[in-house]
Amino acid sequence: MTYVIKRAGKRQAEEFAPHKVHSSVRSACLSVRSPEGEAETIAARVGDVVSQWIHTKPSVTSHDIRRVAATALEAFHPEAAYLYQNHELVV
Amino acid sequence: MNYLDSLVIIAVAGLIHASFQLSVSMLTLLSSHTIGRRRSQARLLALMNSFTLGAAVMTVLLLSFAALVVSLSLDTRQNTLLAWTVTCGLLGGVGLAVWLFYYRREVGTTLWIPRGMARFLNRRAKSTKDPTEAFGLGLISVLAELLFVLAPILVAALVLVELPTTWQLVGIALYTVVSLLSLFVVNAWIGSGHSISRVQRWRESNKRFLQFAAGSGLLILGFYLYVDHVVTVTALAAAGGAL
Repeated sequence: MTYVIKRAGKRQAEEFAPHKVHSSVRSACLSVRSPEGEAETIAARVGDVVSQWIHTKPSVTSHDIRRVAATALEAFHPEAAYLYQNHELVV
Repeated sequence: MNYLDSLVIIAVAGLIHASFQLSVSMLTLLSSHTIGRRRSQARLLALMNSFTLGAAVMTVLLLSFAALVVSLSLDTRQNTLLAWTVTCGLLGGVGLAVWLFYYRREVGTTLWIPRGMARFLNRRAKSTKDPTEAFGLGLISVLAELLFVLAPILVAALVLVELPTTWQLVGIALYTVVSLLSLFVVNAWIGSGHSISRVQRWRESNKRFLQFAAGSGLLILGFYLYVDHVVTVTALAAAGGAL
């Protein structure tokens, strides 16, 4: 079981939830107007990459998950990866 | 100063207002979250238009209020000179502040506003589903940047009170439309089905230019108005007194 340490350690660590990665990647793809099927496929593939990476680790930070997911997404959809990486750097 | 000069100064002040980016950032976030949730195009347009309307209403309210305060407090020529001097100083100060602080020194288009406030605005943009909420968000987006938009608004207010009533309405409408130009462009771009990431990439790659242009605009306008409304008036009064 892998625990995720939330941003800046301010919130309690929680168990890794693959569906959260899936839905955030899917949203990023849809935000750049990808078709729904493509968004689902990409989200599933990125989810697999993150799950594989996380498999042997007892704990990771949410920032690490985002970084790995963004790197994986870059290969499938650079525009979505850009939004995914920058979503908190807009304001 | 004739009407055309006054309207040009109001338009320039509005253009400087338009170069401030908080409203555009929030509109980008709002539309990004809305599209990401597969909401309909009609809903997206309703939210974006409500947001823009909110920003327009707050701009009109702020400008009208500033013009009211200015018109009530400027009773003598001394007061008018003092108000112009203070406003020109404010333009210079805000111009320098824009050059130094407007964007943070990090990737993306993160602005000067405190991070806690930025996270709050981000959360609000994310949870906005209703046009009324979007309208409120538009109101807040202008109010939250009052520190920077106050200078161009004061300039427009000082010019407005010298115009006849009908032209004051024209001036308010002109300032509001010009100050919202950037929102209109983003609204039309996203509303016509283009990608948000292109807007955001453009903003990121041109942010230093926008920052330089806004700061320079404030400094140049401040210098011009100081010469035109303070130095010239004082010199003419002194020459009139000497004759």
